[in-house]
Amino acid sequence: MIINPLGLHARAAAQLVRTAGAYQSAVRIERADRSASADAKSILSVLMLAAARGTQLRVTAEGADEAAALSAVCALISSGFGEMTG
Amino acid sequence: MRGTGTHRSSDGVKPEERWRGVAVSEGSAVGRVLRIHSDARQQVYLAALEESEVEHEVDRFRAAMRLARRQLRGLKRRAELALGADHAYIFEAHLLMLQDRKLRDDVEGYVRRGRVNAEWAVKVVADHILAVYAEVKDVYLRERSADVEDVMQRILVALSGKDGHGARLLPDDAVIVAEELMPSVAAELDLSRVRAIASDAGGWTSHTAIIARGLGIPAVVGLRDMYRRARTGDEIAVDAFAGEVVLHPSPQTLEHYRASLARVAVPTNVSASVEDGVTADGEGRRETLYLADGDEVFLRANVELPAEYEGVRRYGARGIGLYRSEFLLTHRGAMPAENEQFTAYVKIAELAGVDGASVRMFDLGGDKTETEDAERNPALGLRAIRFCLRRENVMRAQVRAVLRAAAHGNLQLVLPMISDISEVRRARRVIDEEREQLTSEGHETGEVKIGAMIEVPSAVLVADKLAREVDFFSLGTNDLVQFTLAVDRGNDEVADWFRSLHPAVLRSIDMVMKAARAAAIPVVVCGEMAATPAYACVLVGLGVRDLSMTASAIPRMRRVIAGIDAERAGEVARECLECATADDVEELVRARLAMLWPHFFPPETLPVPIEVER
Repeated sequence: MIINPLGLHARAAAQLVRTAGAYQSAVRIERADRSASADAKSILSVLMLAAARGTQLRVTAEGADEAAALSAVCALISSGFGEMTG
Repeated sequence: MRGTGTHRSSDGVKPEERWRGVAVSEGSAVGRVLRIHSDARQQVYLAALEESEVEHEVDRFRAAMRLARRQLRGLKRRAELALGADHAYIFEAHLLMLQDRKLRDDVEGYVRRGRVNAEWAVKVVADHILAVYAEVKDVYLRERSADVEDVMQRILVALSGKDGHGARLLPDDAVIVAEELMPSVAAELDLSRVRAIASDAGGWTSHTAIIARGLGIPAVVGLRDMYRRARTGDEIAVDAFAGEVVLHPSPQTLEHYRASLARVAVPTNVSASVEDGVTADGEGRRETLYLADGDEVFLRANVELPAEYEGVRRYGARGIGLYRSEFLLTHRGAMPAENEQFTAYVKIAELAGVDGASVRMFDLGGDKTETEDAERNPALGLRAIRFCLRRENVMRAQVRAVLRAAAHGNLQLVLPMISDISEVRRARRVIDEEREQLTSEGHETGEVKIGAMIEVPSAVLVADKLAREVDFFSLGTNDLVQFTLAVDRGNDEVADWFRSLHPAVLRSIDMVMKAARAAAIPVVVCGEMAATPAYACVLVGLGVRDLSMTASAIPRMRRVIAGIDAERAGEVARECLECATADDVEELVRARLAMLWPHFFPPETLPVPIEVER
């Protein structure tokens, strides 16, 4: 779930894309209600998810390093993109 | 508020036109309009291609993407240097868009399938993305469409083979007039050659405002329809002290501006700067400064952006009188971690040197964060010290970072917007607890003096009690004027009521100075009054010896301070305290200063009340 107050905005999306881009596996993010899904390596696609605060997301990865990719992306999202330190 | 004056302009053709806006960066300038399109849409035409031309068109698109990425990386580096990494992040997002496989595949696919030119394909693909964003309900996420448009423009410009707004195109006397100065456009301009900025949109925290303040360019925003009325090459005068812009200024207006420019101008070339206290190696004099009759006066720097750091040494500031720590927050409101703050405060302490730096606790809440539900009256709402006490974890992280950084340099902590002594006591308790905690964790801490911002009338009225509970006062004149006179300085409908020289304001300052003297604690005055020579004379007369201002204002102020004396300034101040109205005070100050120190305040250059047609 997206917990940072401003949702999956440009900076958060940039972090997500950089993180996913570091892995070989294909990483996809889908809204839990299945209304939209995105390639986690494409910032335009991620922004089009329009994931505001509180949006439930499902992350999937497929490829050689899928487990590592999955845990890295999930950790980033659940940390609130490092914006929750206050 | 726009008024058309009866004067004719100096070219004798167009009547003078005046606008009132929000001044977001100090200074004044006279120059010629350079209109900058914020949305400089390239005209895009559809061209059908032969089958044989398609692959060449795809190559042309790829080359344009490479060129656009190269330009953007350059801009990103410049923006990081000027604004800090936090504000430059938007270029990171733009860069990722230019590397986006989806964008590339969609455009190339469209060129191949539709056999159309790359420009048309870029426009179609971008419009499709924008249509999706337009459906988004979340306001903040929807605003990202501006980023997509900016990126699309960049690709179209790269395809056209031109390199956009080149710095070489700027004439020496350019005053930028725009609806809004988009970050990418601003970063491409050689802003060192820009005399001033005037924009229709924008507020105190807009990109334009932040850039202008960081680089010391006078700027007035919120002018509504100025862009439509101005033409490139028109004569224009910008007064970012009063928030006024004059298009086609009359000869009288021009003369007034030029005279005040001569008075405030700070030479920028090195040879002329030496006598202003800036040495050739860029290190300003930090030497002691005295009034003509002997008292020592400290001129310190207000600092917010990394771009301002250089000025602290360059202009010889005696340390940092006010560090606005809000800059550490990203402008989207995320809270910086303790370690990140620690690093920043150590740097600030190093920069300030032996004279020290005062870190103001986050002045947040109200209109400065958008994450909470909107308050009906944010200026009087949950902000500054109230916000910090409510969000105690935010305050504790900041307190810990300051205490730790103080082990590496001379730092003080200022509590913003104190309205009741209990706030000081609660904050002190938190500070004591965190110091103990840090010690038990094995961290080194340094001594940190605690000051109270005096900017609310209730703090003025109990200043004598308050003075016994803090180590120093920091007098914020902007908010003090606003709260004492109940005038929102951002609201141009009541701009005429914002009078720094109102007798009520001067009496408040007098009370605060007396309370501080009785308790033997220092007072530093920050805010616009401290940076304006005529006001500073009155402050000196009221006993102020410690002023903090934008660093670039220091050389001018140093000359004035060295040339005036406490005795006669005190006489002027005492007369001011007996005046009944702000008009009386202003008239008195004008007359007395022109008589006492005509070389600093020649009569014709003293600020005159701005005529506003109601």
